[in-house]
Amino acid sequence: MFDIGTISTLLLLAMLGLLAIGMPLGFASAILAVGVLVMKFGPDLLFSSFGTGPLNILAQRIYGLLTDYVLISIPLFIFMANLLERSGIAAEMYNSLNVWLNRTRGGIAIVTSIMAVIMAAMSGIIGGEVVLLGLIALPQMLRLGYDRNLAIGTICASGSLGTMIPPSIVLIIYGLITETSIKALFTASFLPGFILASFFILYIVVRTRLNPGLAPLPELEIGEPELAEKRKLFGTFLLTLVGGFAAALFLRALFLTLTGQNTAREGVEDIAFGTPVYVVIFGVVVLAAVALIFGVMGRERFRTSWSMGKGLVGPMVVIGVVLGSIYGGITGITEAAGMGVIAVGVIATLRGEMSFNLLAEALKRTLKSTGTIIWVTIGATALAGAYTIAGGPTFIASTIVGSDLPTMGVILIMMAIFLVLGAFMDWVGIVLLVIPVFLPIILRLPIEEIGLFGELNPAHLSIWFGVVFCMNMQVSFLSPPFGPAAFYLKSVAPPEISLTDIFRGFLPFIAIQLVALSLLLIWPPLVSVFL
Amino acid sequence: MASKAKTTIGDMAWPAAFIACLVWLVWYFPRFIIYAGLANDNLNSGYMTAGAVDFALMAGAVIALVMGLRSVRTTAGEGEIETPIDRLSLFLGRVTMLLVVILVAVMAYEVTLRYVFERPTLWANEMSLWMAGFIFLLSGLYAMQQRSHIRIYLLYDVFPRSVQRVCDVISTALICLFAAAMIWGSWNEARDKFLRWETFGTAFDPPIPATLKPLILLVMVLVALQAVANLIADWRKGPETHGVIDEGEVEEMIQTARAQHEQGRHD
Repeated sequence: MFDIGTISTLLLLAMLGLLAIGMPLGFASAILAVGVLVMKFGPDLLFSSFGTGPLNILAQRIYGLLTDYVLISIPLFIFMANLLERSGIAAEMYNSLNVWLNRTRGGIAIVTSIMAVIMAAMSGIIGGEVVLLGLIALPQMLRLGYDRNLAIGTICASGSLGTMIPPSIVLIIYGLITETSIKALFTASFLPGFILASFFILYIVVRTRLNPGLAPLPELEIGEPELAEKRKLFGTFLLTLVGGFAAALFLRALFLTLTGQNTAREGVEDIAFGTPVYVVIFGVVVLAAVALIFGVMGRERFRTSWSMGKGLVGPMVVIGVVLGSIYGGITGITEAAGMGVIAVGVIATLRGEMSFNLLAEALKRTLKSTGTIIWVTIGATALAGAYTIAGGPTFIASTIVGSDLPTMGVILIMMAIFLVLGAFMDWVGIVLLVIPVFLPIILRLPIEEIGLFGELNPAHLSIWFGVVFCMNMQVSFLSPPFGPAAFYLKSVAPPEISLTDIFRGFLPFIAIQLVALSLLLIWPPLVSVFL
Repeated sequence: MASKAKTTIGDMAWPAAFIACLVWLVWYFPRFIIYAGLANDNLNSGYMTAGAVDFALMAGAVIALVMGLRSVRTTAGEGEIETPIDRLSLFLGRVTMLLVVILVAVMAYEVTLRYVFERPTLWANEMSLWMAGFIFLLSGLYAMQQRSHIRIYLLYDVFPRSVQRVCDVISTALICLFAAAMIWGSWNEARDKFLRWETFGTAFDPPIPATLKPLILLVMVLVALQAVANLIADWRKGPETHGVIDEGEVEEMIQTARAQHEQGRHD
């Protein structure tokens, strides 16, 4: 009925209008999907006979989405994060990290960053992380006389890392709607995420070294071990971890050998670290670790170091189970998420925290978050389906590509749109509504012009764009005026810290995030390093 | 007053009974299609007609549903029950929570069997897929009852209450219109797949198309009804301001985080 240019304009205007009147995002997209079909086919054709017609496309798209196996990982990861939030695993990890690092200049800020990275690798939901760190680390840093801006920025910037470090729900949804391998996205995002976290820590270390007044050291507590002794204790603890890890792998390899699952077969890839030779290797490592611990370090030191560090074991098991399942080739993303739920549940039970009420509370929140995320996805899927049939994405891609804009110019405009939208809108909305329009453009840009140095492997293009998108969302969590991290921190910060103070504390960290983002834009092959 | 009650096993008893009856009913549902005389030859040859056990369990499901609707209550952070449809949404929410637990159990079972015993099940993956479809759809109904669907309040919060009411009426009307459009376009396909009891076409062969296709339409209608109920229930309420983040949610996060922190200190 209308041409696609008119449909696109009307669609954009209607979407802005519906969002302005506060219509739920998912349903606004859904009704606009109907709107696009009406504009494309005209009401006569659409409503000519009850029970059938082009409108059936919507239900088909939704059905296709609902029966996508990978989508199941979303409620499971949310469930896992909620269980984690309600168990004391994270709080104990903080204490453990703190014991090791409190004599270091800027130690608590570094602890906060490391803890945030580990929590990001466990779940990747930002709200609870910022609240917990704001409640534990902020008062401690303020009491010690840390610079307020540094303390605030560290907590929120590190607390937002969840989207960059696998498993990340943002990347799962991105992978789902762009049909990109989620495992590849996880692998690709790991290095940029890690670089970003290292930048944060480096920034803290450099600033506190240059100006020690920003982060005064705490007084030595009575009975606390001296620095040299602490190093030895830490060495003992590391040995214990290595020994434990090797023991687990030893048992696995032994089990595989005894059941004969790892006999070499033609055309079948050997199980990673599971062939019979590894029984010997891991066995030796275990023996060496045990010998070093009890022969050189001593039983007493082993006990002390264990009680100082045991809070780190739970998180490592959880990360090991989730990422180990994905990368060890045991299961896919979805089952890894299921295993993560089990692992957190078992640890919480062992810690004596599991109760019917805790489970029910975690489930209630899981259901709410799942409902909101999935239904935005449902609405956006319907809209994307309708818009694709109307020829929208192709039309926009042709218009942009045909307009002779410089490639990097187009990409920079996209970054600006992401950053502006990110300041007002949840990431779910952006990934579902904007990516289906932007990615076709990216895919048609000349690949040799993307980035300043190095050439991106064409197969990694949509992966690269996903990681770039994630990096943008990092900034959106902090960017004024609506960066959610600021509001989460405000809810637990002392009343004299205003929102303006918080956003001011973010500024250097936003700059660091932009540096990391430009790194990805200047040298795109960064994402291919581990692929 | 908004409820602060803890969730107890009692809250989950009727939902659990409902699921137990429904497992049988859904699996043997073609018997009812045959009983109603709507089945095709394929179904007629594959199933018998509904018998005493089937009707007993059907009665059981109805009783569990009715008792569940009567006894359902809100617990901490869930607000209060204001309309009859709230009861249905909350009850189905409880059912969905149990489904999530069952889903995790099924996955754990499958991974254990496959990895430890090298004897993967034929049914676990498709069972997960099937249950997840229910979870995805019904969690949206619960989210609608809880008013937690993502909205942008930037302008909305600035409007006077009367304008907000107009906005809400438009939103609700459009949600109902979408439900109507879905039914208009997909009724025939959903009905046919349901009556044919179309299965997934695999070894385990669960009736995913036969159940999910109609369920999409059914839940869409329930969500629209819930939206109307919300509109009515919230009509008289004063203007609310909405922060960037959900205050109730943050309150709960603070409580749990504080409790853990205190606990950690005594160690």
